[in-house]
Amino acid sequence: MKRLVLVRREQPLRGGQPLSFLIGLVVALLAGILLLVASGHNPIEIYERLFNSSVGSSNAWAKTLNRAVPLGLAGLAVAVAGSMGLWNIGAEGQILAGAMMAAWIAQIGEGWASPLLIPLMLIASILGGALLASGPGIARAQIGVNEIITTLMLNEVALRLLQWLIHGPWKDPESRGFPLAPLLADEARLPKLFGRAHWGVIIAFLVIAFFGFIVSRTAWGYELKVAGSSGATARYAGISLNKKIITVMVLSGGIAGLAGGIELSGTSDRIVEGVSGGYGFAGIIVAALALMRPSGVAAVALIFGAVQVGGLSIQTLGVSSSVSTILQALILFGAIGAGVFNRYSLKSVKREKKGGST
Amino acid sequence: MTSDSPLAIELVDIWKRFPGVVANAGATLRVKKGTIHAVLGENGAGKSTLMNILSGVYRPDEGQVRINGEQHWFHSPSDALASGIGMVHQEFRLVPSFTVAENIVLGASEKIIRRSFIEKEVEQIAQQFGLAIDPTRPVWQLSMGERQRVEILKTLWRKAQILILDEPTAVLTPAEADELGKVLRKIAEDGRTVVFISHKLHEVTAFCDEATVLRGGKTVASSLKVEEVNESDLAGLMVGSSPMISERPPYQEPGEAMLTIEGLGTLDDRFLPAVKNLNLTIKSGEIVGIAGVSGNGQREMAQAIAGLRPITSGKVTISGKDLTNAPPSERFTAGLGYVPEDRLGVGLAPRLTVTENAILRCYKNLRKSIFLVSEQAVNYCKEIIERFGVRTGPIDEPIAGLSGGNLQRLLVGRELSGNPKVVLAAQPTRGLDVQGVKAIQDLLIDERTEGVAVLLISEDLDELLTLSDRLLVMHEGEIVKEFDPTTAHRHDIGAAMAGKRDES
Repeated sequence: MKRLVLVRREQPLRGGQPLSFLIGLVVALLAGILLLVASGHNPIEIYERLFNSSVGSSNAWAKTLNRAVPLGLAGLAVAVAGSMGLWNIGAEGQILAGAMMAAWIAQIGEGWASPLLIPLMLIASILGGALLASGPGIARAQIGVNEIITTLMLNEVALRLLQWLIHGPWKDPESRGFPLAPLLADEARLPKLFGRAHWGVIIAFLVIAFFGFIVSRTAWGYELKVAGSSGATARYAGISLNKKIITVMVLSGGIAGLAGGIELSGTSDRIVEGVSGGYGFAGIIVAALALMRPSGVAAVALIFGAVQVGGLSIQTLGVSSSVSTILQALILFGAIGAGVFNRYSLKSVKREKKGGST
Repeated sequence: MTSDSPLAIELVDIWKRFPGVVANAGATLRVKKGTIHAVLGENGAGKSTLMNILSGVYRPDEGQVRINGEQHWFHSPSDALASGIGMVHQEFRLVPSFTVAENIVLGASEKIIRRSFIEKEVEQIAQQFGLAIDPTRPVWQLSMGERQRVEILKTLWRKAQILILDEPTAVLTPAEADELGKVLRKIAEDGRTVVFISHKLHEVTAFCDEATVLRGGKTVASSLKVEEVNESDLAGLMVGSSPMISERPPYQEPGEAMLTIEGLGTLDDRFLPAVKNLNLTIKSGEIVGIAGVSGNGQREMAQAIAGLRPITSGKVTISGKDLTNAPPSERFTAGLGYVPEDRLGVGLAPRLTVTENAILRCYKNLRKSIFLVSEQAVNYCKEIIERFGVRTGPIDEPIAGLSGGNLQRLLVGRELSGNPKVVLAAQPTRGLDVQGVKAIQDLLIDERTEGVAVLLISEDLDELLTLSDRLLVMHEGEIVKEFDPTTAHRHDIGAAMAGKRDES
């Protein structure tokens, strides 16, 4: 009997990333053909739509980019915490907190000009997310409370607060009973870049680039990586952990909060229950696929966004949402997961023989 | 117990190889039924591997496992348990939110069983062996000693006839350890067999009937009757004898005092005193060796000097500068190079690259405002690699791919790159191959020649005898005796390691 095992390469393949991406994508699409044929669809038609709707036109690109913004920022939030070995599972709630804060500023600043109002909204959204994440950060640093649990639970707190607002004080009188907040005024909406793509694309790109740079190039980022690799090594090198844990959690929450502010002001235009769109949880996948490296988040988020947009579009051709979701997962993991072969190679080894006691 | 009791366990000529390491090289263990048998050896001697083979976790490459005279070939711990072998691991395997009884049943029964029935059964076994415990209490409420009792009960309830305990007293207070000794005696008197892994000699002589000593994966003394040997003999058997390549450096007159330790006290991980009122002065150009059976405070002493463990009393000075409360980085700047016992995970960060690890001590000097200058970092790393002969792959790749010897060269090189006045090296050659051992020993000798004060903590007595200018023996957190390595007798050093004082 033989079995396959992954063996670490002595040296990783240089420049293997684009190649593994393409090969992984092709393999995933081939596997997808089986799935589509089995579920009674024409794979060529579906793949054509998948491609055209996500990257086939400038309109498609606008949709993809708009989706990549919250995915990328949420992924960055998780990855910044992850570089230090912390898990921020609360990006979903922090996005909600950011959106609520931005909406609140939009209410206060009714009638203010865009160049004043929008920056204030975005700053408020950062503060909202940061505030929600600061509690878990302090609890972790001071008394060692596991941040996974606390950030996860605060998602629920943020969601309940939002539900109360849209069922109560913020409910739009013209919504005919639906739990919706009123539409934002035009001044509170992010200007468009091209088509439906908004300026959030630029902001998100700059923020991701900034943190990618900070983590890889500064002494502070270096300390972060040491602490993430081993707390004992960090103490040995004289790096104090407690302050850093709080700072990192606050930054992580702030980034997620910004995603909420941009999503509100750029895409959803009002507070509704689904304003966070599950991006906070998707962000964990984005960060994991980017191997917790802030610099890798943008590319992963772009692919993720394109796959999501395409996956929604093929549902109009009669593909069920579950088949579409499987297809999305196949493409995502095929294209990005194949990167593992840059570091590992497959090797077949003999299986140990089994037998009873003699 | 009689001397002609049948053999319960026979492990004959066991070999077990792991990539790059031979953990067992023909180890043999014979244990008589109804006895408590100690397996002794320093860290890395192959005790744990041998016990894992006995309990079915590993399969031996060569050799035989016989239980009650019958040959077995275990594939898993449950195979071994079916033959009556139960193991109490060092880290407990209990579910904190479950009760004692629930933990004991967990994984052992496919049937639905009455809770009250199990609780009664557990209580009965507990009473029989003097393991006072309430089976209805959740495990998270229990102390470490009580949790250990649950682990022992677990094996007894599963009808284990052979109990293996892996360093059971490491987590216990001295009073709890005495209590454990009584429980083990009752278990042995019930006709069961206990294998007791330890490196605490006084426990071995107090609890055990026979002892087997392992060194370097081989059995060096088999089934010694504990009443016929003393602690010094056992200590002498445990340490020593690795191939020595480096030669004793010529005598040189030591210079002024570089490292001064006055009345040092510190606590271990359980907040019990580990080092008590320790005084030590190391002069420029001398190597002072610390010998001792592991677990006698050497590790804690090193960590306290390096600033990784709070000092509860006393004073540490390096060339006149008081560093008692200074953080580790300040000590490095003041001239202390520290090679910690745990290379990966303390001295080196496993997921970071070679360069990132090389600059760990000095990255603050490679800054330009808030930025790390990567060019300087790379140059610094290349300098260490060249000067200390570290063989690496690409330096922007994680260090995980480096061999043990090269990891240690990188670590030692980094610590010496700051031109220290004092080098504190804890087990610097442990687990290295012959070449690596020589490289590291030669580096320490070179430092001494250049006038650095070296404090060397080692479990390898030959290494200490060759390298040290003075040899101190540590026992229970104190320095009990000083030897001149050129004239000292191995037996006397063994006696001191077992706690014999200067005066006697």
